[in-house]
Amino acid sequence: MSYAPSAAAVKKIDGIIAPYPEKSAALLPVLRVVQDELGCVPPEAETWVAAKLGIQPIRIREVLSFYTMFRRRPAGKTIIQVCRNLSCTLAGAEDIIGFLKERLHVGPDGTTPDGRITLVTVECLGHCDHSPCLQIDGIDHGPVTRDGVAALLEELRAHE
Amino acid sequence: MSEDAVRLIPADEGSWRLEAYLRRGGYEAARKAVMSMAPADVITEVRKAGLRGRGGAGFPAGLKWSFVPQGGAGPKYLCVNADEGEPGTFKDRAILVRNPHQLIEGMTIAAFGVGIRKAFIYVRGEYGRIAGRLREAIAEAEDEGFLGGGIFGSGFDLEVIVHLGAGAYICGEETALLESIEGRRGQPRLKPPFPAVVGLFRAPTAINNVETLANVPLIIGRGADWFLGRGLPKDGGTRLFGVSGAVRRPGLYELPMGTQLRTIIEIHAGGPPEGVAIKAVIPGGLSAPALRPDELDVTMDFDALARAGSMLGSAGIIVIGDKIPILDVLKVMARFYAHESCGQCTPCRIGTSWIHKTVMRIGEGQGRASDLDHILRLADGMKGRTLCPMGDAAALPVQALVTKFRDELEKAVAR
Amino acid sequence: MSEVKMVGLTIDGRTVRAAEGTNVLQAAEQAGISIPHFCYHPAFEAEGNCRLCLVEIEGLPKLDSACSTVVREGMIVRTSTAPVLEARKDVLEFLLAEHPLDCPICDKAGECKLQDYYDRHGLFPGWFLEAKEKRQKKISIGKGLLLDRERCILCTRCVRYLRKVTGTGELGVFERGVRAEVGTYDDAPIDNNYSGNLVDICPVGAITDTDFRFKTRAWFLEKRPTVCPRCSRGCAVIVESVSGYPLEEGERRVFRIRAGENPAVNGYWICDFGRAGRRDIDEGRQERVIKSASPESELSWQKALADVMARIRSVPGPERAAKVAVILNSRMTREELTLAKRLFAEGLSLDKIFFADPKPGAADGFLLTEERVPNARGVLQAGFSPRLPDLDALAASVEVLLVFGSHLLDHFSEEAVSRALAKIPSKFLFSAHTGPLDRLAEIVFPLAVSAEKSGTYINIDGLRQSFGRAAEPAPGVVSEHEILGCLAAGLGLNVGEHDVR
Repeated sequence: MSYAPSAAAVKKIDGIIAPYPEKSAALLPVLRVVQDELGCVPPEAETWVAAKLGIQPIRIREVLSFYTMFRRRPAGKTIIQVCRNLSCTLAGAEDIIGFLKERLHVGPDGTTPDGRITLVTVECLGHCDHSPCLQIDGIDHGPVTRDGVAALLEELRAHE
Repeated sequence: MSEDAVRLIPADEGSWRLEAYLRRGGYEAARKAVMSMAPADVITEVRKAGLRGRGGAGFPAGLKWSFVPQGGAGPKYLCVNADEGEPGTFKDRAILVRNPHQLIEGMTIAAFGVGIRKAFIYVRGEYGRIAGRLREAIAEAEDEGFLGGGIFGSGFDLEVIVHLGAGAYICGEETALLESIEGRRGQPRLKPPFPAVVGLFRAPTAINNVETLANVPLIIGRGADWFLGRGLPKDGGTRLFGVSGAVRRPGLYELPMGTQLRTIIEIHAGGPPEGVAIKAVIPGGLSAPALRPDELDVTMDFDALARAGSMLGSAGIIVIGDKIPILDVLKVMARFYAHESCGQCTPCRIGTSWIHKTVMRIGEGQGRASDLDHILRLADGMKGRTLCPMGDAAALPVQALVTKFRDELEKAVAR
Repeated sequence: MSEVKMVGLTIDGRTVRAAEGTNVLQAAEQAGISIPHFCYHPAFEAEGNCRLCLVEIEGLPKLDSACSTVVREGMIVRTSTAPVLEARKDVLEFLLAEHPLDCPICDKAGECKLQDYYDRHGLFPGWFLEAKEKRQKKISIGKGLLLDRERCILCTRCVRYLRKVTGTGELGVFERGVRAEVGTYDDAPIDNNYSGNLVDICPVGAITDTDFRFKTRAWFLEKRPTVCPRCSRGCAVIVESVSGYPLEEGERRVFRIRAGENPAVNGYWICDFGRAGRRDIDEGRQERVIKSASPESELSWQKALADVMARIRSVPGPERAAKVAVILNSRMTREELTLAKRLFAEGLSLDKIFFADPKPGAADGFLLTEERVPNARGVLQAGFSPRLPDLDALAASVEVLLVFGSHLLDHFSEEAVSRALAKIPSKFLFSAHTGPLDRLAEIVFPLAVSAEKSGTYINIDGLRQSFGRAAEPAPGVVSEHEILGCLAAGLGLNVGEHDVR
């Protein structure tokens, strides 16, 4: 299997690479574009990015496995990140996580049976004055309650 | 309006837009520096202002700049540390959201002072949407000639690139941040050489926190004396104190450096909610050793907190109420550092994991009498011995909890 | 050449002088003070990740890694104070918490730095009560190498070696924290001619070689240096063999060849081709003198050599130049070549002195040269003009032929060599390894290989390197030196044998 990003993504990637004194430095932002397009960074995309940036694929695997926001395997269309660091824990994050797991019936990989939503727990979203907080596809919500979370899930369903 | 002009987090409508910033007197300090000051004078003024780094370590910003070699034909870089990952900290986010132009202006001044033409802003990956607003602000500033080629019509150029991280606490450590900008795993580098001499792409590099740089226009615009007057004699300016946890009004409070911790918690943040008493306070982000309720009469500045056995760090204050078992706090702490250790050096890689495993075992009711002493010993094994400051960041707060709340933890172990 | 600037410092109270730019670890080593370390290797920049080499440096608030600290004038270093010893112990304790105690079946046992340092600096009661991480223990990473992730201590020497020395970069570090692990990229195994060095530089038993795995225990190995004979680079190698116990009485086996250190030639590395020379020493050897007329009979080489002398003598002196021929090779030592020159060219006045060497291979751009012999320069220095024989001419005129080595077959087909040799009445083969030429010779003599000899090679850059015997000779073998000396003595020729060494 080979991968080639869309023309728009390639254009974006070229724009990202341009200002870096060494193109391999653009790896993180380039992987983000790829992941935005594919939902994850599969091996065939590693090969493409490696060729694009003039580095070995192994360097990409090293980076992918280091940063928690990169995914090597597909996840749900919607990603819910729930913070469970101290401020949020103090504000009841574990209860929110339990509630979400129950409502979404997520499997061990955190993804709903229909593959639509992936639930992940994260360490501090930097929104501690709104704890407990969570992020849905990059948008922060907080402080959330069980009812608030239920409403957010409803909204997600309505948008499908 | 006049108060907003000197606040890092202004309250005016649309405060992040260029027009709002200009109404607050924005970019006048940069204009003054670029058009009428010698670069060395910029550094001198910032040194005089006693501006200490707002990222956590509190190193004097002007002094840091002065380590970057002057002149030279090769490139030099400015890196802005917007990898705000210290749990309990949300101040840089507020600057990026409410006042991005003040950061940009501070960068322009710093770059002019140090002789830099290219800057990177390393924004943590979780702030992806916030970075979008920052990019808009950069574009606005470029359009107006405040950034880019020939700033204010002078011969001074500055290109700014926003670089998004991807989820790694360790990238807030300045050399890990450099590795991450270079497209690698965020594993800290050995020091020396220090980044000021061998930094990004092996070139001399100045690295500063967002809040640090956002203060720079105030210093250049109003003078070092004015800035010192807003803080302490050796520790100038205000500080953004983030308060979260068991308080009525969690939020960000911009107050003079040296404000009493108790004042911030009780007065500004409204104290703990009805029926809750304070059990512990973490004064400077998760890595700062916790204080007991009887230790809260301390001023919030770098030196006073160091004397109190803790640190000002990122000034993220986490108030822990008496309804929360300390073991729960310890569990979060142990899990966090084990999760965020980059794995490069032995004591941190294995020490954080070992502590985590032990704490979880205690949590499962399998504690042993020796466990708490072991945790203290493990923390000792990491402290001062790791490749980067993360070893201390992970060891000190754990040690503080175990030492200060030993009685409660003994009961948890014996359960 | 600019003078190296020296820096004076104090280590453990001793005044030490070290070249500017030296790190504290090296400076201490030069002064005879060894500072334990895993990740540091003199061939790479310091990485400072193992934290075992922490020392006290006066004026610094914390311990610092000796490997990454460059010496400064007046620096005061302490390597064995209580805080230093405590730090060492703790680092070892951390490592052992996650390291399996499978030393009884680990190839590295006996030469493992973790074992050695624990014995020297550890010796603590263990109190790790948690479960060790489960990791893969037998991952094939290419070229017969196996990776054991439980044993790995993440020193990353292997990763850095493949990035900085071979430039091939097949290994990387994945994941992070305690889950961090070394590995190859999917199906892209290690594939370069220098992979064996990974086993040498791994301080623990995380990377092992199937060629050595489970074959013997490190403490039985006798380790002796020599010069690699497999190309003209002349790399320093260590031959590691066992003679006798725990093998059978009189048995000798070479288990491993490893890189020796020689800054002037190979640094710390050898190629896999040279490393595989182990098999040249141990496998396919001629074990005894075989006379084709009576193949079963036991015959000493001295006795058999009498036949050779008789044949040579049977050719009248003036006719020898045309009727006696020898084929030599460039694996012979400088001393043997001198002897051969005096014996054959000067003593016997032979015209027909030829050379048959292995065919050149491709140089790899690093150490391995095209010439697959160690002493082509020595051949020239001994005064030979090496050339291959013309088989037809040889067959037409020669009555006695002495062949040293079996590399005629690298240049001629077996059929052509058979045809030519059939026409030569007397032919003798001196060879270390069995081969198709054996059946064509009247007598086959079992020769020693280079590791079983002492002598001198002159490498591709003209560097003379003398070496001693690195392995006990296989039973019954004889060196060219002994053969040539005996021939000379037997033929009454003064070749000044004693001054050629």
